[in-house]
Amino acid sequence: MNLRDRREFPVYLGFVAPALVVYLAIVAYPVFYSVFLSFSDFNPNKGGNWNFVGLMHYTRMLQDPNFWHALKNNLIVVAVSVFGQIPIGFVLAYILYRNMVKARIFFQSMLFLPHFLSVIVIGTIWKRMFEADGPVSGIIQFVTGDPSAQFTMMLHANQVMIPIGFALIWIYTGLYMIIFLANLQKIEDSLIESAKIDGANEAQIFMRIIVPILWGTILISSVLAIAGSLKGFDLIFGITTQGLQRQNALVLPIFMYETAFRDYSDPMRFAYGSTISNAIVIISLIMIVFSNFISKRFNPGEEE
Amino acid sequence: MKKALVLLIVIMMLVPFVVIAGGQQEQGQKSEKIVVDVMAYGDNSNQEGVSWKRIVEAFEKQNPNIDIDDEMLYDEAYHQKVVARLAAGDVPDMAYMGADARWGAPWKEADQQWDHREYLDPMYDRDLIPAMGPNGEIYEIPLGTSNITTVLYMNEDLVKSLGFSAPETYEDMVAMVPAARQAGLDVVTIDGADGWAWGSCLMSAVIARMSGDRNWVSKAVAGENKFNDPAMLKTLEFVQQMVEDGVITEKSVLVDYGANTSKYNNGEALFMVQGQWVAGAIENPDVKAATQLMAWPELPGQKDGVEGSVAAAIQVGYGLTKNGASDPAVRDAALKFLNYFYSEPESTQRLRDGAIVAPILKGYDVPEDIEPIVKRKVELAQTAMNTEVIDAFLTGAPNDALNSGAQKIVAGQATPQEVADQVEKLVRQ
Repeated sequence: MNLRDRREFPVYLGFVAPALVVYLAIVAYPVFYSVFLSFSDFNPNKGGNWNFVGLMHYTRMLQDPNFWHALKNNLIVVAVSVFGQIPIGFVLAYILYRNMVKARIFFQSMLFLPHFLSVIVIGTIWKRMFEADGPVSGIIQFVTGDPSAQFTMMLHANQVMIPIGFALIWIYTGLYMIIFLANLQKIEDSLIESAKIDGANEAQIFMRIIVPILWGTILISSVLAIAGSLKGFDLIFGITTQGLQRQNALVLPIFMYETAFRDYSDPMRFAYGSTISNAIVIISLIMIVFSNFISKRFNPGEEE
Repeated sequence: MKKALVLLIVIMMLVPFVVIAGGQQEQGQKSEKIVVDVMAYGDNSNQEGVSWKRIVEAFEKQNPNIDIDDEMLYDEAYHQKVVARLAAGDVPDMAYMGADARWGAPWKEADQQWDHREYLDPMYDRDLIPAMGPNGEIYEIPLGTSNITTVLYMNEDLVKSLGFSAPETYEDMVAMVPAARQAGLDVVTIDGADGWAWGSCLMSAVIARMSGDRNWVSKAVAGENKFNDPAMLKTLEFVQQMVEDGVITEKSVLVDYGANTSKYNNGEALFMVQGQWVAGAIENPDVKAATQLMAWPELPGQKDGVEGSVAAAIQVGYGLTKNGASDPAVRDAALKFLNYFYSEPESTQRLRDGAIVAPILKGYDVPEDIEPIVKRKVELAQTAMNTEVIDAFLTGAPNDALNSGAQKIVAGQATPQEVADQVEKLVRQ
C-alpha cells in the first residue's frame, strides 16, 4: 500500500463498510454458525452446553438413504436445468431472433410469462393438474378410453421427477430464452449476412457463429441453473402433498427442512439439518468448478 | 452550485436521524402501553384468522393500555416460524399451541410451557380442560373440548337414495360399493394424498378398535407395545382391505385436503373421513343439512370395549409462555385478553363457525338456534368414547413412515408387515 492508497483507505472503507457489515451479519454469520452447528451436538431450541462431535453428523448423513435419494433427485433437477432448460431456451431464443415464427412478441411474452408467477402458485397449479381425475388424468382417460385411469407418476419414487422436470422446464426455460435473446441481439447482423454470402446454411450459422459467441452466456446460465437447482425448494414443496409424494420427490433443501424443522423426535435435528445445508453448498461448489473445467476444456479461448 | 450540493448531502444524511428520532418517539408512546407479543394462527382468508383480527381490534379498543402485537401465520408457515423463533431465542409472550407431540413439542423442548392452573379464571370449566403435564399442568387453554380427528361424515340423503341406511358394521359399507359405483359415486372419500390424514383421521380410530385399548398408541411409544404387534398389523391390513373391497378407491392417494372436501360438498361420495373441524367447511346447504357425524361402525376383527369410539386429541388453543408469564404486567394483560378471547359470545361464534366441538366454559348451554350439523357434532362428542390420536404421541420420522406407509399400501407399493416393521425400527432408534 503506497502513501496515496493509505490516505484514501478510509474513503474506501467508508464505501465498503456498511455493505460489509450487513453482509457479515446476514450472510456470513449464519454460514459460519451452520458450519459450527454441524460439528456440535447443540440444540439452539433447548440451549445449554454444546460438545464437539467431530464428523458424526457427516457420517450419519452419508449413511442415510434419504440423503442419497435426495441427492439423486437434485442431480436430476440439475440435469433437467442444464440439459433441458438451457438448450431449449437457447433454441427458442434463436428461433425468435431469426424471426422464424410470426407474432414474435406474443411467443416471447408467453414463454416468459411463467416466470412472473410465484413459484408456490405454479406448484399449486401443477398439483391440481396431477391430482385424481385432474386434467392430466382426464387426457389419459380420453386417450385410453378407460374412465378409471389416473396419472400416478407422483406416487412412484422412480417416476416422480418426470412430471416435476416437465414443470421445471415450463417455468424456467423462458428466463434462459430472454438471457440468450438479449445476448443474441448484441451480435452484428453483418456477421450473419457475410456468413450467408459465404454460403453458410442455418445450421452452420448456429453452430459455428452463434454458439461460440454465446459460450460465455451458456456457462453463466449453467452456473445459475446449477446453483438454482440445488437450492430449489419452493416448486417441489408446492407441487407435492405432504407424505408419500414429498418423500418420493425429496431434494436436499426439503430434506434439510424436514429434518431441522419437523423432526421433533431428533434432539440433534438442527445440527443434522446444518450438516445437510453445508453439503448443499459443497456440492454446488464442486459442480460449478466442474462446469468451469468442462467449459475451459471444450472452449479454451472463450471469455467466461 | 457546490454549496447547494453540500446542503443536499447534509439533508440526505440527516433524514435517517429524523426518521429514527420519530420512530423512537412513537416507540416511547407505545412503551406506555403493555405490549403482548403473540404468535397467532390463521390467515386473512380463513375464519380463524378473520375472527382473530376482529377480536384483537375490539379488545384493544376496550383496553387502550394493552397492545396485542401479533404475528399471524397458518399451517406449515406457522410451525416453521415457531421453530425458528424459539431457536433464535425470540420467544413470544403468548402463542397458539398444543400440548402433544406435534403442537407442543417445540415449546416443551424450549422449556417455555407455563402452567396456567393458578391463574385460570373461574369462567372455565376445569373438568373440561384435560391435564397436559405429568402433574396435571395446563399449558394452554383449549379452544374447545376434545378435538375428534376421526369423524365419519355421512350424506344421509345420498345413502338413502341408493336404498341403504346408516351402516352398523363395516360389511354394511361394503354392501354399498356396487350401487355407489353404478351411480358414479365413491363410498368413502379421504384426502389420502396428505400423509397425515391416514394416521390422524383413519388409523387412529382403527388401532383402538383392533387392540381394544384406548391408550394403545402411548403405550407403544413408551415401549409397552410394538408397532409391528398384531393390533397395528391388523390396522394396516384393514387399510388394505378397504381398498380391496372398494370402500376407499386406489385413487384416494391422489386426493388432497381441498379436493376431498369439495368431493363431499359436491355430493360425489357417500361418506367422508376427516376431523371435526371440517364440519365448518361443508358449505353446500343440501349436503350440510343431510350430513350426519358418526364414529366408524363395527369393524371386522374389532375387540370388545371400544364400540363406537372416536380418536380425539386435546384441542389446541392459546397459552402464555414462560417468557410472557415472567413479567407480571404482561402476564395479567395476556390473561385479560384470553378471558375476552374465550368469553361466551366469542366461544359461541367459534361453535357456530364449526371450528370447535363445544366450548370449555362452565355452565355453557348450546344455543337452540345453532345449525343441526353443529348439534350433531356436540352429540357425537358427548356420546362417543375417546381414544388416542396417533400423532399426538408419535412424531418425526416414525410417524412419517407410518403415514406414507399407509399410502404405499393403498398404492400397492408395500405390505402391512413391511410398513409395521419399518415404523417399529424407527421408533426404537
